[in-house]
Amino acid sequence: MRLQTEGVVVSNKRIKTVYYRLGINCPPIAEQIKPGQFVMLKVSDDSSPLLRRPFSVYKTYRARHPEKRKRGLLFILYKVVGKGTRIMASMEKGQRADLIGPLGNGFTLPPLPSSGNIILIGGGMGIVSLYPLVEAFGEKRCFVFVGGKTEHDILCLDDFKKFNSSVFIATEDGSLGHKGTVVDLFLSEGKRFRRNERYYLYACGPAAMLKALAGTARAKNLISQASLEARMACGFGACWGCVVKTKHPKIPYQRVCKDGPVFQLGDIIWE
Amino acid sequence: MRDIDLTVKIGKMILKNPVIVSSGTFGFGEEFEDFFDLNRLGGIVSKGISLKPMNGNPPPRIFETEGGILNSIGLQNPGYKEFIRNRLPYFKNLKTHLIVNCFGNTEKEYVELARRLDGSPGISALEMNISCPNIKRCGIVFGTDPRMAHRLVRAVRKATRLTLIAKLSPNVTDIALIAKSVEEGGADAVSLVNTFRAMAVNIHTRKPELGNIIGGLSGPAIKPIAVRMVWEVRQAVNIPIIGMGGIMNAGDAIEFILVGASAIQIGTANLVDPKTGIEVIQGLEKYLGRNKINCIEKLIGAFG
Repeated sequence: MRLQTEGVVVSNKRIKTVYYRLGINCPPIAEQIKPGQFVMLKVSDDSSPLLRRPFSVYKTYRARHPEKRKRGLLFILYKVVGKGTRIMASMEKGQRADLIGPLGNGFTLPPLPSSGNIILIGGGMGIVSLYPLVEAFGEKRCFVFVGGKTEHDILCLDDFKKFNSSVFIATEDGSLGHKGTVVDLFLSEGKRFRRNERYYLYACGPAAMLKALAGTARAKNLISQASLEARMACGFGACWGCVVKTKHPKIPYQRVCKDGPVFQLGDIIWE
Repeated sequence: MRDIDLTVKIGKMILKNPVIVSSGTFGFGEEFEDFFDLNRLGGIVSKGISLKPMNGNPPPRIFETEGGILNSIGLQNPGYKEFIRNRLPYFKNLKTHLIVNCFGNTEKEYVELARRLDGSPGISALEMNISCPNIKRCGIVFGTDPRMAHRLVRAVRKATRLTLIAKLSPNVTDIALIAKSVEEGGADAVSLVNTFRAMAVNIHTRKPELGNIIGGLSGPAIKPIAVRMVWEVRQAVNIPIIGMGGIMNAGDAIEFILVGASAIQIGTANLVDPKTGIEVIQGLEKYLGRNKINCIEKLIGAFG
């Protein structure tokens, strides 16, 4: 059940340039959250900024985690871009954090862990919401494609390397890995994927990346899920402010917060 | 002072307290059931309903400004039939008043919808939206012309015995004049204000921040104007006023009540803190207790 609750900040560190990691002790949400779900964080006690901010949850530690001091923690990664995230960067250990979560429908995992191969494609901050999938797949090998503008925008590499994953990197300026977009890189590595095997593709990133991905025949032939970003007001389905156009026969504008954020990639109509 | 009486009367409705949640910010109630017991509210106004389903406006539909939100949802709704079949049953188990917000493109549509809703059990009142800023042809034309507003309310009045509330637009020169005309048309109450027509531009892309270009502004930024409008309307009409516009806490609600609102609606705040309604009810009780007032009615208009 989703709830509004107060957690306590346990850490708030800059990981590189404008990227930060915020740790919050919040057992009721940490216990329930599934890969691809998100939380709405209240960043200010007054009305500036007024709205909560949506964040996908990156790492969580449940009540049965062997390390006692980590139990009930959840972590979010954020990029300082405006007023709200600047306030977040000043949050201190011990401060209370007002959260609503878990929100959204999250990713659908393959029916059986052994039933196919996994491809993850993340652009910029999008990689954050894919991380819980790698954890969920455990020992299973994942092909992870990570993209960003420069090497400074490539996040979470060490986390992915801890698991049994093959990581491919693309930067638009070529400062790390392949020079170009992550979608180009994915297509150029196409020969790695055998036609007679089943693949599940999970993607998260900016609209331009997902649109390019959706346009490729390769993505069309795979079972592709994408987690979308959108400006949100409530985050729990009340206001219909965060909609995206879909192929839904009756209700073309679906809510990213509640009907998503994860959609079948092929169901989205890109404009 | 143990018993504080929070009940207020709006038309045929007796509300257990003056706190109502406003249209478009509370879905069809279900979205909030995880957060608190909806029965504690004085009333719930449904998302606006039209005869036929509506797709709404293209995104982006939301943009935050200083102390407020611009929205251009565009009245997306599943339509009358779907509402009756799949949304209304949920309210039958609730012990709070359901006020259905409704609108049409023509007088005929308003009347037809009111007539149909009149026959559906479980509905306490209709709130006629004659003021949405996001649709060109919809209510706002009716809501800004006193004669058309009068005529429309009179026609809908004949179609329903339910408590009839007219939701007014603030995008007028003289809101008291509109209020007077809907009172004469037979409205049992007025609710005000809807959002203010507004827009924002992205200076980097040089494009509007909203897909619809123009939207409606709500939130704390509009509160002082809304308070002034409630005060003006109070002096012009005798029917109850439901006041709204940027109410974030009990203090804000009391301000509206003091200038003459019999009840208040919480809108934007629901999106930020879903439990705002409950906090406002508790805050009202505390305020009355502290000031040794045993009945909220004594506070209505008790200003100046």
